[in-house]
Amino acid sequence: MSDAATATYETACTRIEEIIRRLDSGEAGLRETLDLCKEGSRLVEFCAGELDAVAHGLEELRLDELVARLEAGSRPGATAHAA
Amino acid sequence: MADAAPHPDGIPGSRLSGPWPVGDYAAALRDRLRGFKRVQVFGEVFGLKLGRAKVWFELRDSSGALPCSMWRKDWDLLGLDTLGDGAVVVAAGGCDFYPGSRASSPSFSFAVTKLRVAGEGDLLAQVERLRRALAEEGLFEPQKRLPRPSLPRVIGVVSGEGGKARDDVLAGLRRRGWAGTIVWAFAPVQDRHAAPAITRALQDLAACEEVEVIVVARGGGSLADLFAFCDETLCRTVALLRVPVISSVGHHTDRTLIDDVAAVACSTPTHAAEAAVPVDCAAARAQRQRLAGRLERRSRLAIVERARVLARLSRAPADHVERHRTRLRQHARELRATARRRLETSGRHTSTTALVLERKVRAASGAEQVQHARNLERLALALAAHEPQRALERGYALVEDPSGEPVTSAAAVREHAELTLRLHDGTVSVRPQPYGDRS
Repeated sequence: MSDAATATYETACTRIEEIIRRLDSGEAGLRETLDLCKEGSRLVEFCAGELDAVAHGLEELRLDELVARLEAGSRPGATAHAA
Repeated sequence: MADAAPHPDGIPGSRLSGPWPVGDYAAALRDRLRGFKRVQVFGEVFGLKLGRAKVWFELRDSSGALPCSMWRKDWDLLGLDTLGDGAVVVAAGGCDFYPGSRASSPSFSFAVTKLRVAGEGDLLAQVERLRRALAEEGLFEPQKRLPRPSLPRVIGVVSGEGGKARDDVLAGLRRRGWAGTIVWAFAPVQDRHAAPAITRALQDLAACEEVEVIVVARGGGSLADLFAFCDETLCRTVALLRVPVISSVGHHTDRTLIDDVAAVACSTPTHAAEAAVPVDCAAARAQRQRLAGRLERRSRLAIVERARVLARLSRAPADHVERHRTRLRQHARELRATARRRLETSGRHTSTTALVLERKVRAASGAEQVQHARNLERLALALAAHEPQRALERGYALVEDPSGEPVTSAAAVREHAELTLRLHDGTVSVRPQPYGDRS
C-alpha cells in the first residue's frame, strides 16, 4: 500500500499515537503538553466523526437510484445521517 | 585428428560396408535428416529451458514425443516469457542433428523456426501481449498512485446481479463494521457483452463525485470466462479513472489484466471489501475510545503532576526555614546543656576552692579572731554597765509620761497631770504638785 493510500483517518490516528508517546515521555513542557492535548482532542473528535459517518446503517442503492437522488439534490447517505 | 587414427579392418564375415569413420557417418546422417521435409507439428510443451543461445523443450502427445530446439533470438521475437508444461503449441521446422565430436555428445532435435500458442495458451499469449503493451505505456501505475480513503462513505460495486461475489462483498463490508452506502452497478460478467457493460458501469460510477472507491467483483471461472476482464478498452478505461478501482476477479491463481491496471488486486471479494475499507471500523471505534481515554488521562496527569510539583516548590522556602529553625533549637538545647555542665563543673570547682580558702583563712587568722572576741566581750560588759535597769537597782527611778516616754525636766513634769515612776521592782503612778503647795 502506498503512502497516498493511507488517508486522513489513519494519519490522525498515527498523530494521536505520537502525541501520547510524547506525553508519556514526560519531556514535554507545560505549554507543549497543553498544546498537544488540545491537538489530540481535536484529532480524536475528527476520527470519531469519520467513524460516525460510516455507522448509520448500511444503505444499498442501485446506480440509477443514486443518479436519481443526485438529480433530486440530496447526497447519498444524507437520510441515514440525518436520522 | 580422426584422419590420424588407423583405419581398422571390418568384422570378419560381415557383409555390411565399412567400417566408416563415425564422424563421416554422423555428418551424413545430419545431411540426411536436414533433407527431411519441413513441417508443422503440434503437441504439449514440457520441460522448457531457456539458454543464452538456444531454447529447448519437448513436444509431446499421447503417442510420442519430439525433442525441440529454437534459436533464442527467434524465441524472443514471440514475446513469450515462458510456457508452462502442458501448453499446446504449433511448431514449424524440420529435423536437425548435431554430430558431436570427441569432446561433445551428439543430439537430435526438431529445429523450430516458428511457434504459435494454440487453444487456451493462445488466449494467454494474447493477454501477455496486451499486458506487455499496457505496461510499456505505463498504464499499470496511475491507479496505484491514487489516494484511497481509509473510511469511504460511498463505495461503488460492479458485479453480476445474481452472483455470489455480490453477497461476499456485502458480507466482507459488514464484517469490517462498515455501514456506509453501497452503489451497485450490475453488469454481465462473462459473455461478449460483458466488457463494454463493465466499462460503462465503471465510467458511470466514477462520474458520481460521491463514489470514493469502486470494487469490481466476479467469482472464479475458466480463462475464457474471465476474458472480458482482459479487454483492452476496459483495462485502458480503468487505468485512467479518477476513482481507485479494487479488482477481485476469479480465484487467486487467475491473473486478468484488470488486476494489473487496478489500484489493488484481491484474490477474493472478501479481501476486496477489506481493501475498500482499510480501517476495521469496529476495532477503530474501540481504539478511538482507548486513545481518547489515554489522552484525557495523560492530560489530567500532566496538570496534576505539575500542580504537585508547584505545591512542593511553594512549600520549599517554608520547609527550608523550618529546617533551620529546628537546627537552631537543637543548637540552643546543646548550648544550654553545655553551659549547665560547665556551670556545674565551675560551681563544684568554686566550692572546693572556697572550702580550701576558708580552711586556709581559718588557719591563718585564728589568733586575731580570739582577740576580737575578747574586745567584743569587753564592750558588751561596758554596755551592760550603762543599762537603765542597773541604775534602778542602785535606787534611781525613771519618770515616764503616760505614753511611756522618759520625762527629764521639771518643766516637762509640770506639763503632765499624772506620771509614772519606774523603779527596779515595779512602777508607781504619781501626781505632781507645784513645789509651793507642799508647804
